[in-house]
Amino acid sequence: MPGYSPINTKMLQVPIGPGQEVYSKRGAMLAYAGGVRFAPTATAGSGIAGTLGRAMAGESSPLMHVTGQGSVMLGHHGLHVEVVDLQGDTLYVEADRLLVYDASLQSGTMFLGEQGGLSGVIRGQMTGQGLFTTTLTGHGSCALLSHGGVVQLPVQPNRPVYVDPQAYVAHRGQIQNKLHTALGLRDLLGRGSGEGFQLELTGQGVVYVQASERKF
Amino acid sequence: MLAVDLMGETIRALNGSMVAYEGQMQFKRQGMTGGEGLMGAVRRRVAGESVTLMEISGQGTVYLAHEATEVNLVPLQGDTLLVESESLLALDGQLRTGVQFTGLRGMSTGQGLATTKVEGHGTVAILSDGPAIALEVVQGQPLSVDPQAYVAHRGQLQQDFVTDVNWRTVLGQGSGESFQLRFTGHGLVYIQPAERGEGLGAEV
Repeated sequence: MPGYSPINTKMLQVPIGPGQEVYSKRGAMLAYAGGVRFAPTATAGSGIAGTLGRAMAGESSPLMHVTGQGSVMLGHHGLHVEVVDLQGDTLYVEADRLLVYDASLQSGTMFLGEQGGLSGVIRGQMTGQGLFTTTLTGHGSCALLSHGGVVQLPVQPNRPVYVDPQAYVAHRGQIQNKLHTALGLRDLLGRGSGEGFQLELTGQGVVYVQASERKF
Repeated sequence: MLAVDLMGETIRALNGSMVAYEGQMQFKRQGMTGGEGLMGAVRRRVAGESVTLMEISGQGTVYLAHEATEVNLVPLQGDTLLVESESLLALDGQLRTGVQFTGLRGMSTGQGLATTKVEGHGTVAILSDGPAIALEVVQGQPLSVDPQAYVAHRGQLQQDFVTDVNWRTVLGQGSGESFQLRFTGHGLVYIQPAERGEGLGAEV
């Protein structure tokens, strides 16, 4: 199965065929060749219950189901595109950062409280990421959007990585994250270094970090 | 994006520019004076060339980035780099910073009357919207650059302001290239492939 091929850092070409269908961000199509059809979808393969969960979570980004035979070129707002291949593991990502993913991947919504209890909820609120995040599981590819490109930082046991919440894009693997505060007296006086909150990622996996503090 | 390995040293970086780190790091906002003494702080305030830096120290690796702009490293060996304060990302702890008045050019380019001076031995990381290029200036061959594409310069350079205003400009039919910075002498000028309209990273 031919995979996604980046045309440049901001555009992606995705082959479409029988058995090679994708879900993509609605409106992200730039061009296509061949007989490709775009259908708006509300469920995006996660079923009625999943859709309800998403709607309640506010973790929904309009998607379209791309089918047919040919290839489609995708891009969004001039943002950098990063292809991530999954081999049976799970990727955790914000819904609005997903450009496209294979229909063979299972998507779901995860309540942050499941991962960090109360502190997970607080973390979501503090960082503006909401209380839910999207998960993708299975075998296949997906593509992430970032402002300025991403770097992959490996997380290993005994070697935690700290990330600015606004620069965090996604992570995969067995990773626990929690909010780490480094607030001092200076921050209360409004003279902080601007680095008062970080996400502390521990465990085993990879975290994707973008080169900007801007969401989009 | 810039990765800096620290082994107990201290660097200074733009406030809020950390995107990730590994290991033990402390972030501390610099005081009012920013290591320039009281006079330096007063000059900076008067000049409007304010820049808020933080000190980063510790053991490990820190990743710095700002608004998805390109990062360029400039090594200094005792010479002086003049850079717009908004283009400065990070600098080695042992480098000294100060304010240099530039005169008339700032008035019309909207960059203020002054620019930031960095001197000493160490590395400076400067930001540019798109990859910056270094243009060499030699004796007898002056270089003119668009003030909005100018990022930094170093060496023995004099700069003056060139205007090419004629009746077409007055009528609103100008080519858009009415003002240039002209550098003469010997040194390097760094320019970026974008014209700062509303500041860095205004494209999205």
